[in-house]
Amino acid sequence: MSLFQITLTIAMAVLSLCLLLTAIRFAIGPTLPDRITAFDLIVANVIGIIAIYTEFTGNEDFIDVAIILSVFGFLGSVTFAYYIMKINV
Amino acid sequence: MKTFYLHSAIAFVSAYLITHQDPPPLPYNAFSTAFVFLVIFWILWSTSWFYNKPYFRKMPKALFFAVFFIKELLVANIKIAYDILTPRYYMRPTVIALPLSVKTDLEITLLACMITLTPGTLSIDVSENRKILYVHALYVKNNDVELLKQYIKNGFERRLLELTT
Amino acid sequence: MGVIEVEQIKEVVSCVFILAGVIFMLISTIGLLRFPDFYIRMSAITKGASLGVGLILLGLGIYFNQPDIMLKVLAIITFIFITAPVAAHVISRTAVRNHSPFWNKTNLKEFEEYQEKLHLDKIKNHDRYREEQKTEKKPSGAGDNV
Repeated sequence: MSLFQITLTIAMAVLSLCLLLTAIRFAIGPTLPDRITAFDLIVANVIGIIAIYTEFTGNEDFIDVAIILSVFGFLGSVTFAYYIMKINV
Repeated sequence: MKTFYLHSAIAFVSAYLITHQDPPPLPYNAFSTAFVFLVIFWILWSTSWFYNKPYFRKMPKALFFAVFFIKELLVANIKIAYDILTPRYYMRPTVIALPLSVKTDLEITLLACMITLTPGTLSIDVSENRKILYVHALYVKNNDVELLKQYIKNGFERRLLELTT
Repeated sequence: MGVIEVEQIKEVVSCVFILAGVIFMLISTIGLLRFPDFYIRMSAITKGASLGVGLILLGLGIYFNQPDIMLKVLAIITFIFITAPVAAHVISRTAVRNHSPFWNKTNLKEFEEYQEKLHLDKIKNHDRYREEQKTEKKPSGAGDNV
C-alpha cells in the first residue's frame, strides 16, 4: 500500500466522520433552517466522497455524478427554504 | 464584458483544436492546455488596445481583484478555524446596516455573494427599496461598526464599481 | 526515470490538496456542531465547505492531469462558488422572516427597526387576509405579495 492510498483512506474516513457529525446536527437541529443547512453540508460532503472514490478506482465517469449532485443539491436546499418561507408568512 | 466572453470563447476553441491534433504538438495534459489557453487569451487581450480601450484597462484590475478576493478567503477562513478549535469564543456578532451605492441587480447580487463568501460576514437581507443591505458580521474590532463598513465599501464595493461601470 | 518523478510529484501535490480540503471540511463540520446560533453556524460552514470541496476537486484534477477532466472539475468549482452564497442568502433570509432567534451576545442595534417593520407587515398581511376571507369567502391572493 503506497503513501498515496493511505492518504486517500484517511481522507475517506475523515469525510465519513463529517457525514456522521452532520447527521447529528440534522437530527437535533432546533429549527427547520438548521436542518436545511445540515442538508447543504451533507451534499458537499458527498461530493467530496465521490471525488475521492474517483481517485481510488481511477474510473473517470464518476465525475459526472458529482456535477449532477452539485446542481441538485443547490436546487433542493433553495426549494426547501422557499417552501418554509411561504408557509409561515 | 462582451469582449471578454468573445475572447474566452475564441481561446477555448483554439486551445481545444491545438491539443486535439493528430500528431500532438504538445504533451496531452491539463497544464499544457491551460498554458495554451492563457497565451492565446493574452495575445487577444493585448490586441484589444486598438479597438476597446476600457476593456484593456479593466483586465489587470479584475485580476488584482481576484487575487485580493482569494487572499481574503484564505486568511479569514483560517481565523474562523482558530475560533472553532479553541474552546473560548472570540467573536462579537453584530448585524450592521450597509448603505448601498451600487444600483443594478447584477451588482447587488455580486456584492452580496462576495460578502457571503468572505468569512466572518454573511449577507442576511435586502430592504424593500434596495438601499440597505443587512450584514451579519462575526468579528468587529473594538466594537467599531463604522470601520467595518468603510472596509467593505472601500475593499469590495469600490472595486466592483470600477469594474462594472 | 523522469516519467516516474513526474508521477510522484503529481501524487504528492494531489495528496496535499486533498488533505487541506478534508481538514477544512472537518473544521466546518465541528463548527456546525459547536456554534451557538443559526447565523453563526451558517457563516461558518458556507465558506469552509465550499473551500474544502474546491480543494478536494482541484486535487482530483491535478491527479488525473487530462484537459477534459480538468474542465469538468473547473465547471463544478465555478458552480459551487456561485451557488453556495446564493443558497446561504436564501436560507438566512428564511430564518430572518421566521424570527429565528439570535445569540444573546449579538449586537442588534441597527437591525431592530427592520425586524419591527417585518413584524408589522406580517400582522397587516394577516388582517387583510382575514378581511378578504370575510368579504369574498374565498382566500386568495394574500400570500402572494410577500
